Amino acid sequence: MGRRFRFFSLEAIRSIRSNAAISFAATATVLIAIATLGIFLAVFSWSQSQINGQKDKLDLRAFIQLDASKADMDAAVKAVQSAAHVKSVEFKSRDQVLADAKKQFGGDILDLLPDNPLPATITIKPDDPKNQQLIVDELAPLPYWLKDKNSPNGFSVNQKTTRDFLSAAKVLRWGAFGLMLILVIAAVLLIGNTIRLSIFARRREVEVMRLVGATNWFIRWPFVIEGMIFGLIGAVAAVVLLIIGKVTIIDHILNLSTSPLQQQADSTIGLPQLALILIVAGAVLGALGSGITLRRFLRV
Amino acid sequence: MDTLADALEPTPHRNMAMSSANDAPPPEEGPAPEVSTPSGTGEMPVAAPTAEDLWAEPSADELPPLTSERGRKRSMLRPGEGPMVVLEHVTKNYPGGVNALDDVSLAIDAGEFVFLVGASGSGKSTFIRLLIRELEISEGRLMVGARDLAKLHKGKIPLLRREIGCVFQDYKLLPRRSVYENVAYALEVTGDSPRSIKRKVPEMLKLVGLAEKASRLPTELSGGEQQRVSIARAFVNHPALLIADEPTGNLDPETSIGIMQLLYRINRTGTTVVMATHDRDLVDKMQMRVIELSGGKLVRDQRRGAYQAGEG
Repeated sequence: MGRRFRFFSLEAIRSIRSNAAISFAATATVLIAIATLGIFLAVFSWSQSQINGQKDKLDLRAFIQLDASKADMDAAVKAVQSAAHVKSVEFKSRDQVLADAKKQFGGDILDLLPDNPLPATITIKPDDPKNQQLIVDELAPLPYWLKDKNSPNGFSVNQKTTRDFLSAAKVLRWGAFGLMLILVIAAVLLIGNTIRLSIFARRREVEVMRLVGATNWFIRWPFVIEGMIFGLIGAVAAVVLLIIGKVTIIDHILNLSTSPLQQQADSTIGLPQLALILIVAGAVLGALGSGITLRRFLRV
Repeated sequence: MDTLADALEPTPHRNMAMSSANDAPPPEEGPAPEVSTPSGTGEMPVAAPTAEDLWAEPSADELPPLTSERGRKRSMLRPGEGPMVVLEHVTKNYPGGVNALDDVSLAIDAGEFVFLVGASGSGKSTFIRLLIRELEISEGRLMVGARDLAKLHKGKIPLLRREIGCVFQDYKLLPRRSVYENVAYALEVTGDSPRSIKRKVPEMLKLVGLAEKASRLPTELSGGEQQRVSIARAFVNHPALLIADEPTGNLDPETSIGIMQLLYRINRTGTTVVMATHDRDLVDKMQMRVIELSGGKLVRDQRRGAYQAGEG
């Protein structure tokens, strides 16, 4: 087995050396494909983390009746905490809500009011935004809630916004997934095409090998290893380029801008993971492109 | 069925070949060889006298059975069990309705030397491509070394080809490999060990007279030399059957004689040789069995024939 592998590897290296131009073309093709894939993956994972961050902000609020007693409030909080699908609960008394509002709008307007019109509020984070309605359905029958025309059942749920957001996120995710699939297929075809050139140049050799009694896999292995080498070299080069790009461009921009962007950048896929994925993808794409392309030359 | 019965009968030539090669299959099925001259003792008793001028010279260094023979792995072909090649009503038609071979029946015994003659398009190449299973027959039955090629699994085709040496008009050498590597490749595909390859290849190159050119590339060689490399590659596995498709087609007459001598010596080790050719002089001189095809039909099968019917 080891001897065979050695033989096939030597064959692959021989062919890479004797087809320098095509080897270069194949490696460059892999480089471009993998670099594109890398940029895409980084952007994709960044946007996913953004969406998840946004998702976390999708909470719902329950307003407690203005004249509720302390005991009622405690009971309300307790009820919310024990409801299904609730991830976390934050209670704000009327004073706190007023203080927040003052901060948000500037105190002047609110100071004009004779009385604090704002209800105490429980902010509920659901375990998943799509479960908002379930929580509301469970809690609405309780007597504590302040019902008015803005929140007929005592809860501020903007179902439509949530739904829109969630479906947008879904479209984004599937769209990105589809795009990535197309990208991968394009990469395989592109690499396969370049390798086809190399194999086409050697189809006479392949024919001779078959006449001498070489099995298909005996002919194929060197090509697969060759493709894998192109893939590895191209992917490593792409990763190096991506790192250089990140260090010189992205980090530079982040340093200029404010901290929130920095945090967002940190939440993308880690560079070591990305590098690993890309290098493995390069090797696999190269091997597949080569192995599949050779098929047509091995028929009959 | 006249020709088939004819061919199945062991020819004197075959017996000679068997006795001259230690590795030939034991003649269990045929009559005991009446010619038991050991190789090298005398001249070939039944070899065509007209060919003597051609072979007088090289008979001194008789091609010995390769020492590598004992390492032979499981064999696809079982030539000991009957004729090497049997065609029974073989028809091959290409898409478009052309009958490249039309109801051809014949048999070639193990150890025979057969010329395949006929005009271009007569079906010679088809015949040869059928033998190495590059093509499949349309009708009839084709047996090679007691193997029915129609029943041969696709994956087994390489195994078949390892036991059939092939020599072509255009040599079909691997252009980027040295002479040595070209011959070695035929052993590498069989999974032979590097040590064994290192031993067999120089031995083989010496036999074809190219020991000094082992590291050259095919393009640096003359046509005759390239054809010798091709023969070395075809023979290094010590095949039971060697097929040559116009091996002298691109060569001048003198070089052709050298190539023929090689093929003849290979034949004398017991290997069956089937050679398609246009070379009238060679065929006439050799006085070997001649099979003539015309328009895909077998028109002549002569034990000791000339290129053209009625000659010789």
